Amino acid sequence: MNLSSISLEISVLALGLVVMLADLWLPAERKRGLGYAAAAALGVLLIWNLKGCGSCAVEGVSFGGMFVQDSLSIFFKRFFLVAAILVLILAVEFSDRFAAGVSEYFSLTIFALAGMLFAASANHFALLFVALELITVTFYVLTSFQRSRQVSLEAGIKYLIIGALSSAFMVFGIALVTGISGKMNFTELAEVAGQYAGNKLFLLGVLFVLVGLGFKIAAVPFQIWAPDVYQGAPTPTTAFLAVGSKAAGFVLLLRFLFAGVPAVTVQWTNLLIVISAITILYGNLCALPQRNVKRLLGYSSISHAGYLLLGIAALSTAGRSAVLYYLGGYLFTVIAAFAVIGIVMRHLDTEDVSGLAGLGQRSPLLAATMTISMVSLAGIPPLAGFFGKFLLLKAVIEQGAVNHGYYCLAFVALAGVVMSFYYYFGVVRAIYWGQGSTDLSPITVSVPMKFAIYVCIAGIFFLGLVPGPLMKQTDKAAAVLQPVPEVTAVSSAN
Amino acid sequence: MNVGLEHYLTVSGLLFALGLFGVIVRRNVLVMYMCLELMLNAANLALVAFSRFTNNLNGQVFVFFIITVAAAEVAVGLALIVALYRKKQTAHVEELTTMKL
Repeated sequence: MNLSSISLEISVLALGLVVMLADLWLPAERKRGLGYAAAAALGVLLIWNLKGCGSCAVEGVSFGGMFVQDSLSIFFKRFFLVAAILVLILAVEFSDRFAAGVSEYFSLTIFALAGMLFAASANHFALLFVALELITVTFYVLTSFQRSRQVSLEAGIKYLIIGALSSAFMVFGIALVTGISGKMNFTELAEVAGQYAGNKLFLLGVLFVLVGLGFKIAAVPFQIWAPDVYQGAPTPTTAFLAVGSKAAGFVLLLRFLFAGVPAVTVQWTNLLIVISAITILYGNLCALPQRNVKRLLGYSSISHAGYLLLGIAALSTAGRSAVLYYLGGYLFTVIAAFAVIGIVMRHLDTEDVSGLAGLGQRSPLLAATMTISMVSLAGIPPLAGFFGKFLLLKAVIEQGAVNHGYYCLAFVALAGVVMSFYYYFGVVRAIYWGQGSTDLSPITVSVPMKFAIYVCIAGIFFLGLVPGPLMKQTDKAAAVLQPVPEVTAVSSAN
Repeated sequence: MNVGLEHYLTVSGLLFALGLFGVIVRRNVLVMYMCLELMLNAANLALVAFSRFTNNLNGQVFVFFIITVAAAEVAVGLALIVALYRKKQTAHVEELTTMKL
């Protein structure tokens, strides 16, 4: 029991409670400021964390091996803090569209962040489950927050049913895995997983846990919810869902596959390859005919889940490091895109691509931001998206000598990238050459929003041009999950 | 007859399959939600049975976590379903078709 190891999580939870209580005393017109205050407080926590924050960044395990603090968890905690700060700024900008409960929206965002922080450190099934449910249940509310809009409610119901279904699968999977092996701690589980690698019931349990995690990252075949929820949810929620929730799914997937059941992961390489390839193809093919920008980004996020799975399927440290790097670039790119959508589509009922027409004249800054973010998502140098995809493909091709499936996977990923040019550049075309725009009034952007946008643009360019500093971090973080060598020996013996 | 672990697991597996079947077949959101609870309870039964037969209390403690989280999930879920009913006067999933290509 060492409370100082979770001081960051406790501070974030306390901040959420303070924001919720402050709502009682603040007059209605000052409530927007609460969001900026919360973002600033998270900024202070981020700086505190970067400075080592007392003892919360000390590596080690606490709470009986349940809570692990290592380079991987610290990397993801900083990632989630940055994402939450940017999302809160977006939320303040969006808050005039909520009928009521603006402060609750801010505090729920902070509670979801707390869930993600716990997920980053989860080394035990109980913490994995509780952290994941904390994220999912808060997102049910965040998704349906505009309850006077029918699309928002519908999105909430769909997320609720499919989310509850996937957590039921996960709980049953955990019951089978822990019941058969008798271990709930990942470190202990890894020691015995090899013995049970032939046990059908144990493998079924692992598969069910992967269903639950596959839902969070929106991998095929658990992606059905993504387009509808992305479209219907309020824009800041969509941004947080695309970045935070997906990254939380990935950190748990990394821990579970490589720290929990490495012996099974090695057996299932082909399954991972196939899921990754289908996810890439599905996301890109379905995005082609989309006209709604948020729905388009929903399908695009499915395809990005596929690209990220490339790094996991590669089963190498380089692959896992590339996953982390790609997520870093994805964070800035996606939040920039949703920031622009949130501002420009303010007065439109649907977020149709044609609503972006004339943006080049209305606000050169927003038009440039959206263009940069689309180009980065498409993966064109010199932006963050390109370098991330390059690292992922490199990791996959390096493994090609072991299993020729990897070459096919790399080919599918490249084909997906080429397909994606069509719809990403459709958005860019609408911005600069779109016809039929009746409203050419200039758009004003508030100062905090400008700050968020400049941070995103700087992040996209920095990660594309100067990959060194972040790569050092991701390599260190990925090296934590290292129990693979002896296991690869087992697989080659098979 | 001796009731062993496999009997409990069979019942739990049947409950899980029944719940899944209900979610897929039924079209009323409320009934689907009840079926989802059935699936969670199937997992609880499996955990308790494993825990009883392997003399390992971890599983029983985990059941309390699941019950607590399920309660929170139901509170949010029912609130959402009520909000949907107020808006649309229906709780059938076939009517949730605002968002299509």
